Amino acid sequence: MERWSLRLRVFLLFAALAAASWGALGAGLWAGYHRLGDPAVLPAFVQAGLLAGFAILGLTAGIWYLFDENVARAIERLAGGMRARAHAAVAGEIDPAPARYLGDLAPAAAAVTLTLAETRNALAEAVARETTRLQAEKDRLEALLSDVPVGVLLCTGDHQLVFYNGQAVDLLGGGAAPGLDRRLFDYLRQAPVAHAHARLLEAGDPDAASDLLVATVAGARVLAGRMRLLDQGRDGPGYVLTLRDVTADLAAHAERGALLAEVFDRVRRPAANLQTVIGVLAEDAGAGPALTGAMLEEVGSLASAITELGARYDDSRSDWWPLAFTRASDLVDGIRARVEAAGLEVVADPAPILLRCDGFEIVALVSALAERVAAAGLARSFALEIAEDGAGAMVRLGWQGPALPLGQLDGWLADPLEVGLADVTGRSVLLTHATECWPDRDAQGQAGICLPIREARRAHRRPPPVTRAVVYDFDLLSKARNAGVLDARLEDLTYVVFDTETTGLLPAQGDEIVQIAAVRIVNGRRVEKEVFDTLVNPGRSIPAGSTEVHGITGAMVADAPRIEEVGRLFHKFAEGAVLVAHNAPFDMEFLRRHEPGIGASFDNPILDTVLLSAVVFGQGETHSLDALTHRLGITIPEEARHTAIGDTVATADAFLRLLPMLRGKGMVTFGDVLAEVRKHGRLLKDLNG
Amino acid sequence: MAEAGKQHRVLVVEDEDNIAIALDYLITREGYAHDRVSSGAEAMARIRATHPDLVLLDVMLPGVSGYEICQDVRMDPGLADVKILMMTARGSAMERRKGLALGADGFIAKPFELKELRAEVRRLLGSGTA
Repeated sequence: MERWSLRLRVFLLFAALAAASWGALGAGLWAGYHRLGDPAVLPAFVQAGLLAGFAILGLTAGIWYLFDENVARAIERLAGGMRARAHAAVAGEIDPAPARYLGDLAPAAAAVTLTLAETRNALAEAVARETTRLQAEKDRLEALLSDVPVGVLLCTGDHQLVFYNGQAVDLLGGGAAPGLDRRLFDYLRQAPVAHAHARLLEAGDPDAASDLLVATVAGARVLAGRMRLLDQGRDGPGYVLTLRDVTADLAAHAERGALLAEVFDRVRRPAANLQTVIGVLAEDAGAGPALTGAMLEEVGSLASAITELGARYDDSRSDWWPLAFTRASDLVDGIRARVEAAGLEVVADPAPILLRCDGFEIVALVSALAERVAAAGLARSFALEIAEDGAGAMVRLGWQGPALPLGQLDGWLADPLEVGLADVTGRSVLLTHATECWPDRDAQGQAGICLPIREARRAHRRPPPVTRAVVYDFDLLSKARNAGVLDARLEDLTYVVFDTETTGLLPAQGDEIVQIAAVRIVNGRRVEKEVFDTLVNPGRSIPAGSTEVHGITGAMVADAPRIEEVGRLFHKFAEGAVLVAHNAPFDMEFLRRHEPGIGASFDNPILDTVLLSAVVFGQGETHSLDALTHRLGITIPEEARHTAIGDTVATADAFLRLLPMLRGKGMVTFGDVLAEVRKHGRLLKDLNG
Repeated sequence: MAEAGKQHRVLVVEDEDNIAIALDYLITREGYAHDRVSSGAEAMARIRATHPDLVLLDVMLPGVSGYEICQDVRMDPGLADVKILMMTARGSAMERRKGLALGADGFIAKPFELKELRAEVRRLLGSGTA
């Protein structure tokens, strides 16, 4: 009875009242009739009874109607309105009209819902404010970490990647790009990292850091790193690892050390021999003729060693100083700004080249020289020329007027440049750049100062700025790991959702893949920056009908790699993940035909969104990608439809919305889903063996 | 030489006595007239006074550097026919370029073989008199 609605109960109440009144009326009339004992009055009693009965029915019905309309239904409407405002965040005041006969109830309910709305708005505003602040802070941190000139990695206690920045991608790259929740040791050699981690764990000092030197797995790079422990994580504390590429430094050190050793080796021997020979000659002049040959030979080998080693030192000198390539036009801009700020004129003509130099020092040197020339009264307007010169470049500061005596130039070069550092002189700048500087007079008789730069190259288009993104999911730090896929909870698995575009629908008759795209889902989130999207050269023509579908022409794939190479990269990308595709058997058949050429087999567990759709929505529905995404409220932009990456992203988003629905149907682990999917085998074959 | 019998005069500007003694022997034996100054400061006055055919000029000199002397000689039109052969113990490619840019006729790095020096001197003085 408690579950009956209020209106039903009120109705039953009035019905019972009417029935009881009828009963009382009937009983009263019956008693009166018996008391009279006269059968002749029976019709009158019946008539009176019927009349009174109808009157009672009419009255109860009327009062019931008023009660139902103004009390029961009013209460239900009021309650509905309050519930809507409580649960569904409906805005606006409750309409008090239907409940106008309920006394203060409607105004009281209105007051309650109004207060609720106000509180809710205040809370939402506070949350929004706080969220904005956190977002801004997060953006700043992301920008900071994406721009620091070192690779930054965060790993869990069992060495899975949780965070990496763009520099880390460059350092770890060479082959497969890093991905979230992948093992660090796919990229770096295990021993030094594991050793440093163990050392920090043993030390037990939360502030301790451990320095290490580790090579990449490919062996192409040597990285210097610093490790610091984080204080959370299930499998022991995770850590932050900052990495710097020291391959070139180490090579330069080794080269320098080897040269130094060779200098001593080749100078010591003839020097010792000469000392002996000359010692003998000094004591006994008669030995002269016999020893002269020996002396000449030793001195010859000493001289040639010094000449040769000196030349080698000279060649490699600038390699030891890390100088970047600077655009000639950028140098000119810097010099012009400083020279013009000093009230002088400069006309510049930079060649389209890049100079290997410390731009700041060269700008400071050239502008300081211009100011000195002006102060010496030689000129006030200059012609600045930067031109290609052999393998290097020539920076020339020219002027109309008397030439500059070298002695004066040498004096200026000994003075500190005004760059804030007392020990940076013109001479030290020249030394850094392994170059010289001198006054000259060109063919037109224009005086000037020449400053050659040893290395330069032609400028090409400025490369597009590299996106320095950071990729992370800190929830991975506290994620539990299951041994088997079957027992793993759905949200704990890593998925690679993919789609292929092909030359046609019949792989058995020679159709091939022309494009593969894939995205990774880690910890229940699509990782925005981890995308695989590649054209594939199918080794055959693409029928016009297929080009109409996906827009890929033969010319577009002419320079693309073949399926063997792309397959290897894709296999690496999908390693350790569950493969997800819409109509997976179709895509898998194209891939599996090439497993021998790829040299790896796609033995990943596989989920098919067609089957998952059937599990969730029933077999009666349409399960095309368009129908599925439409049902789930996902729109595929028209220009992305039938591109591999567009369909992949749509499939991934659909899959992410299907996951909670599967959980709602009681499927928690991968095994649960697999068992359910197999019931729909009639629809599509399950590929998991 | 066209003017047979005319003896070329060579001025050595070198502050290190040991190599100066050796160069003295060598130049005399080659049949040239020999003269020497041991500091940069004296060099210009001596060149102007004696107008030698060739100056063997060391770069590293106390006072005034060899480069400066070279520039000064080249800026004096009266000394246009004076040949300059520069010698340095730091024979980097950049220094060679600097020397030649300042007007030296030859540039030779120490240590050098006598053969090499002899050939360079002969080249600068024409066919030589020896």
